[in-house]
This record gives sequence, C-alpha cells and structure tokens, in this order.
Amino acid sequence: MSGSPDLSVYIGPMKLKNPVMLASGTFGYGQEYSEFIDLNRLGAIIVKTITLKPRIGSYPHRSTEVASGFLANIGLQNVGVERFIEEKLPYFEAIDAPLIVSIGGQSAEEFVKVADIMNRQRRVDALELNISCPNVHKGGMHFGVDLEVTRDLVMRVRDVTGKSLIVKLTPMVTDIRLFAEICQHCGADGVSLINALVGMAVDIKTRRSKLGRNITGGLVGPAIKPFALYLVWQAAKTIDIPIIGIGGISSAEDAIEFLIAGASAIGIGTWNFVHPSAMVEIIDGIETYMVENKINSLTELIGTLY
Amino acid sequence: MLSNSYSKLTFDISGADNVPIPGQFYNVRCSETKDPLLRRPFSVHRLISREGSVHLEILYQVTGKGTEWLSRCQRGVRLDTIGPFGNGFIIEDDVTNVVLVARGIGIAPLYTVGEALLKKNKAINAHILMGARIKGRLFYEEECREIGEVFLYTDDGSRGYCGKAPELLVDLLERKRLPERFSLYACGPADMLRELADISERFGFPGQVALEGHMGCGFGACLSCVCPLRPEYIRRNELWKKPALQWSEDGSLVYSLICKDGPIYDIREVDWDEWLA
Repeated sequence: MSGSPDLSVYIGPMKLKNPVMLASGTFGYGQEYSEFIDLNRLGAIIVKTITLKPRIGSYPHRSTEVASGFLANIGLQNVGVERFIEEKLPYFEAIDAPLIVSIGGQSAEEFVKVADIMNRQRRVDALELNISCPNVHKGGMHFGVDLEVTRDLVMRVRDVTGKSLIVKLTPMVTDIRLFAEICQHCGADGVSLINALVGMAVDIKTRRSKLGRNITGGLVGPAIKPFALYLVWQAAKTIDIPIIGIGGISSAEDAIEFLIAGASAIGIGTWNFVHPSAMVEIIDGIETYMVENKINSLTELIGTLY
Repeated sequence: MLSNSYSKLTFDISGADNVPIPGQFYNVRCSETKDPLLRRPFSVHRLISREGSVHLEILYQVTGKGTEWLSRCQRGVRLDTIGPFGNGFIIEDDVTNVVLVARGIGIAPLYTVGEALLKKNKAINAHILMGARIKGRLFYEEECREIGEVFLYTDDGSRGYCGKAPELLVDLLERKRLPERFSLYACGPADMLRELADISERFGFPGQVALEGHMGCGFGACLSCVCPLRPEYIRRNELWKKPALQWSEDGSLVYSLICKDGPIYDIREVDWDEWLA
C-alpha cells in the first residue's frame, strides 16, 4: 500500500473527505465549536434543525444526566430560516467541509417550504429531514413512525431539491427496515440513524420528572450505542443507499464498529459536549486503524461484518 | 476537605489563555469512564497570582458520582478542564457597600466578589449573610469574616438567625443594620433567589445572582440550560452581552442560555415564576 488510505465517501452527489460528521442538534450553528476544533477537518457538518419560523423550544429544566447517557428535551429551539440564512450561514463561507442543514416542520408543507429555501442556498450541500425528534408535539417523531407520512414527505421534498437528501430516522418503530426501504424507494440519498430514544427520569423527592414540565426527553449518549449499532446493521442489510450511523459514538473504535456493521459515515453527538475536540481524534484513529490493517479505502471496511 | 462534604481544589492555570473573572465557571471532567458522562461546572472561587503562577480555587460539595470522584483525586493529578465560560459579575468601580447572600455552597462564587472589591477599594463595606439547614452544615465562616461582617442563619436556629436568608435580609433591613444603599450579590437555591428578587423590588436595591442549571456542554451548543427572562426588562436593559437569547415568535417569552448569557444575571431580569414552574 502506498500513501495514506482513502477515507472519502459519497452520500448522493456530496463527497465527504472522511466519514466523520457532527450529528445535528449537538452542534449549534458551528461557531460554538470553532475555538476547540478545526471544522475543516470534518467529513461534514450538520447544523441544528431549522424550521420555517423561530422556535423558543421546550420549557426550562431541559436536561438531566442518566447512567452513561444524557436525557434532553430541547424541542427544536432554533432561530428560524430567515435568521439562519442572514446570520449563521455566512460563517460557513470560510469553511470547506460540506454543510448539511437539518430541516424540521410541523406539516409536510412546512418541510417542503424550508427545503425549497435551503435548496436555493449555494453553501448548503445537503438536506437532512428530521422526522424523528422525540420532543415536539407536532411533526418530528410523529411523522417518522408513520410509513405513509414518511413516504409522502420524502417524495415531496425530493421533488424540490437536487442536493443530497438524507432522512434521519427514529428508533421508536417496530421495524427500522421498512422505513429505511421507503426512504430509498422515494429517492433519498442516505439515511441517518438513530435519533434519540424516548426516556424519563423521576425525582423521587418531589415526584416530578427531572425534566420538569417536559416530562419526557430524548435519550442519547453511550447508553444507546449497542441499540444504534443493531439498527444500523439491520438497515444496512436491507438498503443500498449510505447509512450515517449515530448513537453514543465516543471513540475511533466505536466509529469503526458502525462502519463494519454497515454505516458509510458516522455522526458524533453527545460526546462533543464532553470532548469538543474528539472528532479530530476519531478521524485520526480511523486512519490509523486502516493503515495498521492495510485497508486502502473505506469501502473495503464498510459493511464487512463476518 | 473543609467541613462535612465541602472541599476545595486548587488548579495551576499558569499559562492559560484566559484569566477568569468572578462569576465565570470552568467545566471539569469528573470521570475516567462514561459514567458519569458529562463535565461538571464549577464557579471560580478564588484566583491567586503569585510569583508568575496563577492558581484557581474551586469550592465544591460532594453531591453525586462526579464530585465524589473529584474528591478522591490526589494532589498533582492533571484534570481535564475547559473554560472559563460565561459572563462574570459586574463590579462597578464606585461600589463600596455590598451585601453577599449565600446558602451552602453558594458562597463559592460570592467570596471572590468580596475579595475583588477589597483589592479595588480597601474602604469596602461588605455584609455577608450565609447559612445552611443546620449548624453542622455551616462552613467557611472564618474566611468570610476576613472580607466583612458575617450574619449566620440556620433553618432550625441551631446557630445564628433562625430562618432563611430572605427573612434574615428583611430583618436586617428593617432594623437598619445594613447601609442605606448597597448592591446585592447572591447565590443559592432558586426559591431563595426568587424571594431575594421580591425584596430587591420592595426595598429598591440592585442585585446580581449566580444561577445554576443542568448543562450538557457549557459552551452554548446543546441548548439545555435555558433560563427564562422577563421580556419587558430585556428590551429596556442589557447589562451583559447575551449572545444566545431566543425569543418566542410573539415576543412574549425570551429564553437565555445560562452557560453563554449567564450564569450571572440581574436579579430583576429573571422570570422566576416561569423558571420555578
């Protein structure tokens, strides 16, 4: 083998120089990490879900820690499409890494509108449909657990964009394969899985939820990794489009597990809160593993579980 | 170990890029595993510069797995720490009369306010109201006496004033034991801070509070640590830079992030009812 291994991977027309990306919802709008990490090193950046109008998000007392995990109910707080384009998007002009914008909505019409606006932004390389947020009353997971709604949404958004289209799936379904198949069938370029599981934690002194009025939250972090890995493996056996594996990844070893199970790329979420510079170490760790195991190209590793 | 479950930790932060100011905090990894997972925020307690080195002290209380791990760390270990984060206290140059109100570990960020003021102005007049549930939980009294006059309180009356901090403050105000004009700095449970806010309105003194909230990251990415503010107040005043405010569409609610916009707030800008609902 000569030179460095090839870590690049495609998701639709979008090329990633390496498979490590930020998972949406854990990254704000990019600037928050700029003092910790060179964003140009990343395979791709996914910014927090944007909706048509600004959203204030969930009530206070939004998070609590659980064993090896983080339980949070943010409720898609975001600045809305207009402010995102005016105030946040210009920041990415100086960054080379592909930019994926996660989009959300309370109706199919809202998803289509946001997709259409984002499709016209030159700096945006791909769209990720968030039909899996567990913490909103309308849209979010309620869309992602319904096969017909998922089909309709993916088809309608596909119609308005030629950019790479990724669908982020919820694990709160009986059979992830059906949802992955529908996304592929309707023209998605990739699927991200998994979004958060739904969880609770109770304060036994006050008998209130530790998330206050929100009661429930999304469970993320290392606690969900084995389950995420299982769903990635199941989906990978069913579909041919790339899978972005997400769920509790905190090391290059974790990332490689997902790649072997069938993910073409991986997203880092909660672990960024703990080690905001972790992604660069993970990219380097994957490269070292490939060199040590004489793997020339990432494609020789993806989906190779014996 | 200082008393009961309270401990002090000293960090050598010589050569760090940023020198913290009172009220800011650091996020410390309190684990070598993934449980506990997240970093723990600790406010700056003291900053000591001598002979070219800078030492940062934090005061903390062992309340769970993270702080217990921290309390077992041996001298000389390298702790994984990021910061300083957040807005610090605003300490006006002409301030001479201050009242510091703390409950339990709440004294940690306030002590340094007194110390900073003393450094600026020797003629400072500080009154410190500090207390706990019972006598055995009181700590840091001697250190605070070096800064100003200390008034102790305990919920059960086992030492000092019998009652809570807000009641003691009203008592002192009514008995005219405090200067006519002063600035209040407070840190403690949210219900205590809310009562202090009411007293601040009633008696017309300004105040700043250090808030605590569950944080995922500490640097504005996870959007967990929201604190609701009073829209009418935020529209009128903005003492601190608040880069992370999020308004509701109709402008009736505004949330700030404690890690970016706080953790220090004007006592009157916090929407305590919404916060404690």
